[in-house]
Amino acid sequence: MAMSSSATLVLETRDLTVSYRPYGLPPVQALRKVNVKIALGEILGLVGESGAGKTTLAKAIMGVIPQPGAVEFGQILFNGTDLVRQLEHKLNQLRGRAISIIVANPRGELNPLLSIGEQLTNLARFHLQASVRQARQLALDMLRAVKIPDPARRFRAYPHELSGGMAQRVVIAAGLICAPQLVISDDATSGLDVTVQVQILDLLKKLARERQTSMLYITRDAGVAANFCDRIAILYKGEIVEEAPTAAFFAGPAHPYSNLLLAAFSHHSALRKRWSREVEPLAKDEIGGSACLFADRCLLRQGRCFHEHPQLRELAPGRFVRCHFPVERPSS
Amino acid sequence: MVILRYIGSRLLFLVPQIVGIVLVGFILIKAVPGDPATLMLGPMASTDSIARLRTDLGLDQPLPVQFLIYLQKLAHGDFGTSWQTTQPVLSDLRTRFPATLELVTYGMLLALLIGIPLGVLSAVRKRGAIGKIGGMYGLVAGALPDFWLALVLVFVFYSELHWLASPIGRIDISVIPPDTITGFYTIDSLLTGNWDALGSSVQHLLLPVITLGLINAGPILKMTQSTMDRMLQADFSQYERLCGLPPQLIMRHAFRNALPSIITIVSVLYGFLIGGAVLVEIVFSWGGAGQYAVQGVLNSDFNPVLGFVIFSALFSLVVYFLVDLAYLAIDPRIRH
Repeated sequence: MAMSSSATLVLETRDLTVSYRPYGLPPVQALRKVNVKIALGEILGLVGESGAGKTTLAKAIMGVIPQPGAVEFGQILFNGTDLVRQLEHKLNQLRGRAISIIVANPRGELNPLLSIGEQLTNLARFHLQASVRQARQLALDMLRAVKIPDPARRFRAYPHELSGGMAQRVVIAAGLICAPQLVISDDATSGLDVTVQVQILDLLKKLARERQTSMLYITRDAGVAANFCDRIAILYKGEIVEEAPTAAFFAGPAHPYSNLLLAAFSHHSALRKRWSREVEPLAKDEIGGSACLFADRCLLRQGRCFHEHPQLRELAPGRFVRCHFPVERPSS
Repeated sequence: MVILRYIGSRLLFLVPQIVGIVLVGFILIKAVPGDPATLMLGPMASTDSIARLRTDLGLDQPLPVQFLIYLQKLAHGDFGTSWQTTQPVLSDLRTRFPATLELVTYGMLLALLIGIPLGVLSAVRKRGAIGKIGGMYGLVAGALPDFWLALVLVFVFYSELHWLASPIGRIDISVIPPDTITGFYTIDSLLTGNWDALGSSVQHLLLPVITLGLINAGPILKMTQSTMDRMLQADFSQYERLCGLPPQLIMRHAFRNALPSIITIVSVLYGFLIGGAVLVEIVFSWGGAGQYAVQGVLNSDFNPVLGFVIFSALFSLVVYFLVDLAYLAIDPRIRH
């Protein structure tokens, strides 16, 4: 489902800039003018290494950036309303209801003293004003939908009685029980066995398609994103460096960093070698304040990269890259 | 089923636990220098009469034999006699132990009423005024000696303001104590409808209970605050926030997770105070078990000391047993 300009946007960030200002230390920009758009029913994959700002983006959308961080600039439009300037209690009505998040480490995220059923019904009762019986029915349906065997028994179970995969399904059920418009998955499946991961991704995709749910799928694993997402955005040091429809992206990633990422997962050893060569380290004074953020690691850098910060530009319709010298041909 | 098996196994270990405690208490009290025979007969007694008394008391026997004799008597409910009160220790403790227990129980209740709400609030509003007050309170309560606070309270409310009756004993001398049912004057006077006794005993309880409550609220507050803080930061609380659950519900869930730690500190304090409230007992001439035991130690009166040790050990075991049941009720991870 490629995005067209006429499609209804569920989420749009405009120049979203988030900084952490630790006391007595220089501020760190975690997100720099990030623009992402997610249309109705669309799955956007956000790929980047750890520290790139993926989780910060998720937290910014949920309105829970931890201290000393804050949105410094920009907007987060959800159905056209800016969440950045929304009141806390209004945000709280959206969280878990209209926007939900599926987190990793599900066993730590579930309250150890409450049964699975109680935790799921709490959500339905609070967000949907469901009666006890309705909430219970909804929770059981949801457990069934995420393919948990013997849902009536799991309903009474406690988190410590579940395996990791089972707990992950419960968290997915919790993320979907209120039929949200937007689901954010923050590296949620990376800790699972590969076979379980595939099952869960298929399940998520099916549920998302059935309910026209939009998704922001955050991952470090570009390979997983290839099978799962409609569009891919690559985040590097808080900046979107490339954005493209999934098929076009994997046919020929344009940014050198994207190539490096894909090569790292590639089975093609020549390709892997070519992109994972050591880059000569730079002396500090070689990098100007306005250099490309990837310049210090880039294999294709040239003089211009050190004093001119590249803008995101459109190579082809729907294909954006932030590079002066994008990789032209598919690298094979 | 699990619970029944659990209770059974706990009861099974009760007897060896008590015997172990008595043994340690016995050895320790015998290690303290001092001869009851000399003290009983006074400085003018002849060595002959002292030796005779020692034989009568069984003090000439070797320690293990003395211990076995003590155990044998204990098995028949005989705790021995106190040479100071000339009463059987059991009947002494029957009045003194409830006296201490009543004092300590109300003191703990007050401490809970202060410590838990203040602790929870100061964890929730960490950076606010309440958080600062909570931190200060914990510090001050930890630094103040209880007997000093007791003396200040007596000075202010009795000597200066004359709001209360003279702070001596559990009840006014002119008031007849209620018939003994539980040994708690407040409860017994309520049960028997003895309103004079109720009023007087409440008045006498007021200052020592406030003393114990204010001081012991400190550690409870500290524990509540730090555990609540940790639980509110925990992943599951963050996740509940991400799910948009209302803050009150998140707080309730966090509190439930904090409860085991709070119960632990409360039970430790409660057991400790049976003997630990002795300085407050002395200030108010309470005539409780702690005072009784201290007099016993000072005068080589072994039987009251051992009786006190057994009573408070039993009490602690009961408290810890109840605590374990509470854990079982709270935490499903223990149940399975």
